[in-house]
Amino acid sequence: MFKKKWLTAPYLVFILCGTVIPLLAIFYYGFTDQEGHFTLENITAIADEEHAKALGLALLFALICTVVCLLLAYPVGLILRKHAGGRKGLVVFILILPMWMNFLLRTFAWKALLANNGVLNGILGSLNLDPIRIINTPAAVVLGMVYDFLPFMILPIYNVMVKIDNNLIEAAYDLGASGKTVLTKVLLPLSMPGIISGITMVFVPAVTTFVISQILGGGKIYLIGNIIEQEFTLNGNRQLGSGLSLVMMVFILISMALLNKFDKNGEGSII
Amino acid sequence: MKNFLKRFYLIIILLFLYLPIVTLIVLSFNDTKTMGVWKGFTLKWYQDMFSNPQILNAFCNTLFIALLAAVVSTVVGTVACVGIMALSKRQKNAVLQATNIPLLNADIVTAVALLLAFGMFGISLSLGTVIFAHITFCLPYVILNVLPKLRQTGTIHFEAAQDLGATPLYAFMHIVLPDIMPGVFSGFLLAFTMSLDDFIITYFTRGAGINTISTLVYSQVKVGIRPTIFALSTVIFVIVLVVLLLSNFLPEKAEKAREKAEKEGRELTPEQRKKRRTAKRIGAGIVAAAVVAVCVLASPYVGAMAGKGEVIYFYNYGDYIDPDLISAFEAETGISVVMDTFDTNESMYPIIEGGQVSYDLVVAGDYTIEKMIENKLIQPINYDNIPNAANLEPAYMEILASTDPGNQYMIPYTWGTVGILYNKTMIPEGRITSWKDLWDPELAEHGILMMDSLRDTFMVAELILGYDMNTSDPDELQEVVDLLISQQPLVQAYENDSARDDIITESAGLGMIYSGEYLYCLDENENLDYVIPEEGTNVWFDCFVIPTNAKNKEGAEKFINFMLDAEAGLATFNYLTYPIPNAATMELIDEEIREDENVFPSQETLDLCDRFHYLGREADQVLASYWKRFRGN
Repeated sequence: MFKKKWLTAPYLVFILCGTVIPLLAIFYYGFTDQEGHFTLENITAIADEEHAKALGLALLFALICTVVCLLLAYPVGLILRKHAGGRKGLVVFILILPMWMNFLLRTFAWKALLANNGVLNGILGSLNLDPIRIINTPAAVVLGMVYDFLPFMILPIYNVMVKIDNNLIEAAYDLGASGKTVLTKVLLPLSMPGIISGITMVFVPAVTTFVISQILGGGKIYLIGNIIEQEFTLNGNRQLGSGLSLVMMVFILISMALLNKFDKNGEGSII
Repeated sequence: MKNFLKRFYLIIILLFLYLPIVTLIVLSFNDTKTMGVWKGFTLKWYQDMFSNPQILNAFCNTLFIALLAAVVSTVVGTVACVGIMALSKRQKNAVLQATNIPLLNADIVTAVALLLAFGMFGISLSLGTVIFAHITFCLPYVILNVLPKLRQTGTIHFEAAQDLGATPLYAFMHIVLPDIMPGVFSGFLLAFTMSLDDFIITYFTRGAGINTISTLVYSQVKVGIRPTIFALSTVIFVIVLVVLLLSNFLPEKAEKAREKAEKEGRELTPEQRKKRRTAKRIGAGIVAAAVVAVCVLASPYVGAMAGKGEVIYFYNYGDYIDPDLISAFEAETGISVVMDTFDTNESMYPIIEGGQVSYDLVVAGDYTIEKMIENKLIQPINYDNIPNAANLEPAYMEILASTDPGNQYMIPYTWGTVGILYNKTMIPEGRITSWKDLWDPELAEHGILMMDSLRDTFMVAELILGYDMNTSDPDELQEVVDLLISQQPLVQAYENDSARDDIITESAGLGMIYSGEYLYCLDENENLDYVIPEEGTNVWFDCFVIPTNAKNKEGAEKFINFMLDAEAGLATFNYLTYPIPNAATMELIDEEIREDENVFPSQETLDLCDRFHYLGREADQVLASYWKRFRGN
């Protein structure tokens, strides 16, 4: 409308220098060995036992985390659609608010809560209940993931839900649909863009995290994110780190494809 | 009933989301250094916070980076949205796909991609690279917020204004911008939030001495977090909360009153109008005050950037120097010390080797220093600038000379051994004698802690198996890895410096620890004892070295000289409780402590011990691959 295409120029510079060139750099390192010759070894290294195991574990945890987030978030979306339709600002505010308390500290707080001598066990003890011992176990890591990424599932679902026309629901009821039918045949299909967007917003960060597994896993749980981080910070093997990162990018491509299919208009954005 | 259930569910979710936040706020008032139990109310962490330059610096950096990144990305993004509207459909699609990449991409991939790109173009890491990276990942949030609003607004009003003679810029500023303002504002807010909350991207793209709250917390997670950082985040949380509540909801409320009035077809009462004006003013005032506050906070930092004076960049283990000594040095010489921290030699080395960050002074373990010498990463030290080197104990200098002829490259800072710390109330005194006790299923119920440090962790298994602690023989290492894997089910956690907090708070009963932590832990919990196992252990020296790419070698030497002073050595000993290889300092230490064999082992014990050595590049890779085999299991 404004006929000023050149206004995108500064942004294009950022896309080029901040996104495109760095991705090319990863490709370059991922496909070369330490002497700079072409190789596929860094990519095929994902099949090495310790890498494959870390990836498998990460995929499993991320899958559980995504499913739990979805199960927790969808009812929230349903309830808020009915009762908080007009207070979008407030809902978003409440969900984003925890992010002003540093992400690492929020995760660390769970360590304080779950520790064997921690806050929760103190409370359980005073109630004469058995202590829970889940710190440094996979359960603690998944809990941390669910906690950290839940808002990214609630927000897109809620955003789609509030846009659903109430008349559609009423029409369905008028035509004799039961509550269950309305949910499965009307609400669920209409909220699909939000669900898909939420799944990608939760799954990708969960599968690549290294911080949560490090803080809540007691150094006993190694995910693919930990391996990549250590290739850069510990082993100084940028080539292998890049190769493994490229493998992770497959998931990003899948996300983009899913979003293009189910959420063409960006209705399910987190905003 | 149904409504009750719904409400109950929402409350449970809210509790889940806010429980950790409440915990952190409560812990920031807890009167104990090691978290866990409530020991009474105190405000001392808030006081500490304001007198801790490192924390204040991280606070300024965080807000400065977040504000700058949010402002730049909001301006660039909003302008770009206008441009995007003019693109053809295909161009638009391409740009929007590219916009999605940083949003969908895993943080760690974005981070390493930026790191590699900076490296390829020879850009050394600095505050600038962090800000650039933040702008990059903030931009999509702005675009996604502004673009829909811009679409909604349409062109009619804009064109009408132009028909009436407004210039395009004037028409944009006065007609379009007010319409899309909510989108711009929420884009700004989201960008600010994401920047504030980021850790991974900052961690990979920061330069020497650039700490945000996230990176500071990360380094503390490994050393044991102190409540000062809880206090800091509580303060930030409350500030942002208050600012946003007031600036966002007051005007909104007033706006609603206006809309309601309009709908009902009546004018606002003068009282309402006045209220609305005040609300708007308060909102604007608070935003302005926040901006001014942030600028004031950031100004000393910006001043330093412009070149405030002589600086040395110091890379050290976490919590491994008395902060008062740094202040004293700064006061005495006028040189400011900017310190970054790491947790193991293995994580420090790639940073120095990469050369994208340059330090003037590094504290490193002796075997890593051998590797640094071989790869020419450090340079000879000029003893003319360090007269206090005469205080160093000649016996130790002789030991070090075996791997650094003439003591050219390293000056010892501390030394010690590795042993087992245990709680006497859980485990009878004298029960622990061997490294094998860490494999004892009976003791596992008390909680066994192992180090997460390649050489130290391998050493334990090597000594049990009767191998040399400097072995790189694949068969021997396979046995070592097997032995360590067999121990895994018994181990509560693999951690380094933070192990001391777990043992102090009795979350764990025994664990591997550096000898220097013993006195510190004993101070906090008198039931603890330290043992050097009968198989022997590693004797290590942590030394000062000066990297080849140091920019202020003389300043670094002045600092070393300062630290070798007898009194400074005593202050170091009292703070770290690690043995100091300083003969002049030893004379100042209480005799009772000097004779504590846990801290200063007898010659007899030392004869059982050995030192780690650098084994060469190939052996290093072998070790790394076996380490991964063990850790990935």
